Amino acid sequence: MSSRESCRSELRTAIRQLNDRCLYSASKWAAEQLVGIEQDPAKFTPSNTRFQRGSSSIRRRFHTNDVTSTPPAGVSYVSTPVMEEDEVVDGDFYLLAKSYFDCREYRRAAHVLQDQTGKKATFLRCYALYLAGEKRKEEEMIELEGPLGKSDAVNREVASLERELSILRKNGIIDPFGLYLYGLVLIEKGNQNLARTVLMESVNSYPWNWSAWSELQSLCTTIEILNSLTLSNHWMKEFFLASAYQELRMHNESLTKYEHLQNTFSFSNYIRAQIAKAQYCLREFEQVEVIFEELLRNDPYRVEDVDMYSNVLYAKECFSALSYLAHRVFMTDKYRPESCCIIGNYYSLKGQHEKSVLYFRRALKLNKNYLSAWTLMGHEYVEMKNTPAAIDAYRRAVDINPRDYRAWYGLGQAYEMMGMPFYALHYFKKSVFLQSNDSRLWIAMAQCYETDQLHMLEEAIKCYRRAASCNDREAIALHQLAKLHAELGRSEEAALYYKKDLERMEAEEREGPNMVEALLFLAQHCREQKRFEEAEVYCTRLLDYTGPVSSMI
Amino acid sequence: MAAASAFAITPHKVSVCVLLQMYALPTQATPPFSSVSQHNRLGLYILSLTKSYDDILEPKLEDLISQLREIGGSLGPWLIDHLTSRVSSLSSPDDLFTFFSEMRGILGGSDSVVIEDNQVILDPNSILGMFLRRCVLAFNVLSFEGVCHLLTNIGIYCKEVLSNCMPYELHRLDGSSNDLESLSECENMDLENFVFGKVNEEIEERKEATERVSFHLHATQAICGLVEDVEVVTDPRSKHHDKGTEDCPHVHHPGTESQDVDPYGEVFLRTNWQVQGYLMEQADAIEKHGGSVSFNTFELILRQIKKLAPELHRVHYLHYLNSLYHDDYFAAVENLHCYFDYSAGIEGFDFVPPSGSNNSARYEIALLCLGMMHFYFGHPKQALLVLTEAVRISQVQSNDSCLAYTLAAICNLSSEIGSSITAGILGTSYSPETSMGSSVSVAQQLFVLLKESLKRAESLKLKRLVASNHLAMAKFDLMHVHVQRPLLSFGPKASMRLKTCPVNVCKELRLCSHLISEFASETSTVATDGAFSTAWLKNLTKPMGSLVLTQENESGENFHALQFCAQSSSIPRSVLQILGSSYLLRASAWETYGSAPLARINALVYATCFTDSSSSSDTALVHAKLIQHLAAFQGYKEAFSALKVAEERFLSVSRSVLLVLKLQLLHERALHRGHLKLAQQVCDELGVLASSVMGVDMELKREASLRHARTLLAAKQFSEAAAVAHSLFCMCYKFNMQVENATILLLLAEIHKKSGNAVLGLPYALASLSFCQSFNLDLLKASATLTLAELWLSLGSNHAKRALTLIHGALPMILGHGGLELRARARIAESKCYLSDPSYSVFEDSEVVLDPLRQASDELQVLEYHELAAEGFYLMAIIFDKLGKLEEREEAAASFKKHVMALENPQDEDPLLNLL
Repeated sequence: MSSRESCRSELRTAIRQLNDRCLYSASKWAAEQLVGIEQDPAKFTPSNTRFQRGSSSIRRRFHTNDVTSTPPAGVSYVSTPVMEEDEVVDGDFYLLAKSYFDCREYRRAAHVLQDQTGKKATFLRCYALYLAGEKRKEEEMIELEGPLGKSDAVNREVASLERELSILRKNGIIDPFGLYLYGLVLIEKGNQNLARTVLMESVNSYPWNWSAWSELQSLCTTIEILNSLTLSNHWMKEFFLASAYQELRMHNESLTKYEHLQNTFSFSNYIRAQIAKAQYCLREFEQVEVIFEELLRNDPYRVEDVDMYSNVLYAKECFSALSYLAHRVFMTDKYRPESCCIIGNYYSLKGQHEKSVLYFRRALKLNKNYLSAWTLMGHEYVEMKNTPAAIDAYRRAVDINPRDYRAWYGLGQAYEMMGMPFYALHYFKKSVFLQSNDSRLWIAMAQCYETDQLHMLEEAIKCYRRAASCNDREAIALHQLAKLHAELGRSEEAALYYKKDLERMEAEEREGPNMVEALLFLAQHCREQKRFEEAEVYCTRLLDYTGPVSSMI
Repeated sequence: MAAASAFAITPHKVSVCVLLQMYALPTQATPPFSSVSQHNRLGLYILSLTKSYDDILEPKLEDLISQLREIGGSLGPWLIDHLTSRVSSLSSPDDLFTFFSEMRGILGGSDSVVIEDNQVILDPNSILGMFLRRCVLAFNVLSFEGVCHLLTNIGIYCKEVLSNCMPYELHRLDGSSNDLESLSECENMDLENFVFGKVNEEIEERKEATERVSFHLHATQAICGLVEDVEVVTDPRSKHHDKGTEDCPHVHHPGTESQDVDPYGEVFLRTNWQVQGYLMEQADAIEKHGGSVSFNTFELILRQIKKLAPELHRVHYLHYLNSLYHDDYFAAVENLHCYFDYSAGIEGFDFVPPSGSNNSARYEIALLCLGMMHFYFGHPKQALLVLTEAVRISQVQSNDSCLAYTLAAICNLSSEIGSSITAGILGTSYSPETSMGSSVSVAQQLFVLLKESLKRAESLKLKRLVASNHLAMAKFDLMHVHVQRPLLSFGPKASMRLKTCPVNVCKELRLCSHLISEFASETSTVATDGAFSTAWLKNLTKPMGSLVLTQENESGENFHALQFCAQSSSIPRSVLQILGSSYLLRASAWETYGSAPLARINALVYATCFTDSSSSSDTALVHAKLIQHLAAFQGYKEAFSALKVAEERFLSVSRSVLLVLKLQLLHERALHRGHLKLAQQVCDELGVLASSVMGVDMELKREASLRHARTLLAAKQFSEAAAVAHSLFCMCYKFNMQVENATILLLLAEIHKKSGNAVLGLPYALASLSFCQSFNLDLLKASATLTLAELWLSLGSNHAKRALTLIHGALPMILGHGGLELRARARIAESKCYLSDPSYSVFEDSEVVLDPLRQASDELQVLEYHELAAEGFYLMAIIFDKLGKLEEREEAAASFKKHVMALENPQDEDPLLNLL
């Protein structure tokens, strides 16, 4: 990877260029990474490290296997020469247009630039038009709400923009920013293949535009598509791959990438948040919590991704921490879907499901494609015993992203609750298919098979076996396996699983009725097998427990 | 707000309002309506506009104008002019406000309005009045933004027509002025190629339909040639014609207008009511025509609706139906689940009582549908599981009607379990539970279930269900043998008497037909008057006063629809369908009991009266029955030409039925002509069809092995034939197919007769006879009697008298109902009896033998049954020789020789092959 210094200077130029073109979120991202690069000790000044404190402690705690930063051999990174501006001094009209743009008067900005011909001016004009169209689209979305739901409003500028940009591209007088915009337009038109090509051209010639990368990433829905991209080896590609892997649920691959990137960008909040996201998906809640505590200490007004932190707090039932977080994001920006979601989570934890639904609804009003809000709202409806509403909410989540295993699981649960286990199986199968290493899903499916109505014990055993093989935290699977085998009269298998369960309980120092049951069965089993010594051992252990069993002995 | 917003005001509705104004205020019109009928016609037209559901999108102004030209006659140009000028004069929001307050004026009931002479006062409660009121209301609740949108849209709506030199193409033209643009468009312009795609699809389908035979029959040149020939000779004109009638005229093929959803928002869905009506009709069409509805065409429309109305969940159901009938299991499952997740089973099921349903979820219907889907895809186990769950949930939710339907579905399932969906040619694809243990008890279980289901349906007054339950009952009675045990003796040794009850079948069928007199109270109003409007609009091209349509109407379907709808109360399609299937079942029943004319008449009734309302697979089945009949009574030539027509007509649907029929006919014919190799190949083909990927069709399997045995018999491999027949008998016995066993016993008797062991054959013939007697299989009984007689005859001439008596006893039945082959056999056997009777002398009464022989040989020549024909001519030659009629003798001998030669070198020439 190129040196920190070169990254830094590349980013500095890029931020200026992006800002010049009003690509603010890309410039924000670049600036965040710029600050995230570890300072050389020589130039160490306290003001520079203000945003970098504390992070080393995380590294100490979690970098047990410190990745020595040897980049994979044979990869030579191209350092794209920083793009030269075509005009050094912006025209007066450009300055006026940019000011209008900054005041969000997009059409006015576009009008000012009507007769300007420079690449920069053309881009800004097109971009302003595009945003004007987007704004109008948002407004129309509200206005055009028909009897049967909102019909999709369209960006009316897209057609003319597409025409213009395609001519520019054909004539070869388009810059990477123009290509990015062209990509956006093509996505809006639904022409994904061409959009992918165009965006690829854009990022290959100007890699620092993170917005272009993320649009490209949204087009990579399968690993095959991702692998088919031809991208030049810039360090930005690593960021892209890491995020793409994460979207494709290849969490470990993405973690490796991020950890590798951390060698250069060791203080990047973005990377930390992404790592937290991956850990969250791997259900490592402890780590997520630590990362977020640090993150929020550095960046207390952060709202992005904080809803995930709230989920962790919810799962750990930290009432006060969750309420504190909710309060904080509320004060920061209450009209962010994430904020509403956090508040919803808080109410849900308090058991006030109606209020919780209210806030999830608000989150969805702010962003109707906000996936986790749909799923969480489904959970709330389930709590409120309003199954049809829950099913509806889950189904919307699934329709937004068919790979959301939680929503599939929720659908299954809802149907199971209504006493339709066979119908529910369809959904459990879906969720298990998407997340096949999650023991909870397998257990849920097994329980479906086990219900009185279906009573398909063989299938249940198969599911439990899968659950047991993928790290079943609550240790339900082993116990159930033992029980089912016993029920089916296969005492050998049952004894095997009881023994395994027993070992596990011993290792985790858990006790309880399961322990008694296992001991009792094993004792009886050994007695039937005429292995009296073993039986005696089990019986003696049983005597430690009070209750009807020990008196039975 | 929700109620108000359920009806959005659109440019098209504004146009309709303008028309309404013209209709209501005729004096303003400078050329007033020339006649009352013209005036009425305009009213009817407006009514149809508000009601018809032939499309999902509101028509554009140009469509409206061209329709106005049709109906307006002399007044047309004036109407158009007035309409366009009025609509295009709306140029500011205030114009709209004035316009709608004017509209209020033509409504009756408000005192403030000054009534002009001649004014038609619209009753505010009439359909048109309601429409007007809704428009006014919808306008009044619009926000200012809404008014602005409406105004913009009206502008676009008019512009397209007024700048009529470049109407709709405008966008396209300037859009693709440079080739780069078109290049980029090419990538996602699969819609553009859509028309080609469709044509290709059809061609593919056609190919597939024919290739399926040739693919399997990878052997003889003869058949391949035969199949090729069928293709080549096909008359292109008839092809076209058939397409017109059968290729589902109700399915709307989107032409260019819906190729791309206009990005500028001038496309509006019709009212919710109309779209629902459209969807309902499409659902009907899909269910009726099955796979022949083009998958992609319809999918495209659905996608468009989904885009315009994302909350209309019924679309998912249509997706489901579409993928179901195109055998796309995964898409079907997905869409079914999706639909019920969204709608909770409340939307759009006619058997949910509208008043009683308290918006509670009805997921049991989802289970019912899922069960039927599994059944359709041939997963009986899953289907049973799901349906059991449906029963439980309906009980929990106390949804009685769903319970009744579920029970009926279970009955249906358990009566067809084990047989695949490709039902046998007999139409009653019955085979009892293959894997479910003792079948008698399962049959009894089914009987109880049927009774229970019937009772429930009756108490709930679900008339259609009652009727179809009666049908199921009749089917049960037809195919199941009643076991009658004496009451007092138990245990395995108790004597059992098996019998069938034709009386019950008749009774059930009659009860089923009562439905037609009872349905009157149940009318789905949505369907009927909307259908009328749709049909009326579609028939605009007809001259004035087109309600009295003439027979020259080409699209017969529309004509029927119109006639039906024009009646005060039309018969719902579902009722017609049930009635139709009762006729189908009647035909099968008579076929089984052995009355050919009755079977034919019932099939004909079905084919003439119910094809419009029934699914195309049923129609194909009826055609198959009729063709079989044709083959048996008129010979193969007729049958094959009819088959060709039928194949053309049912191109993609239910190929299997016709395919099986084709194989059957080919086999029969090959046996008669002595093409044993070909016969064996066809027979193997049948065997392959019987155990397809979808599961084993017991009925077909039985048929295939029966034919195998017959082929072996014809090849004089008696012991092999007997072995096959024996194993077949065992199989049928195992699966409790008692009725079928009568045929097998008869075949065994036949084998023994041919092998010369008449004594061995006698018990089989007798057993078959007694089976036929107790199962009321009259025709089969006659043919068993004939075989018995032949057996007796072959025991020696001293049994000739007895044989003759037997034949004479069976003759009425045989001559009345039997096919060509049976009749000929009986006649030859009769004359043989006479000839071997020592007391009979040829010289005394030669006509007694010659006449039957002549008739028999005529019939056999039609059938090309060389072996038997040769025998007949041989006998004739001998008789003529005895009588000394040398000329006739030579003639008969020549014929004999011809047939023997043909039998020996079967490949020689095949006139039928050339004909096909």
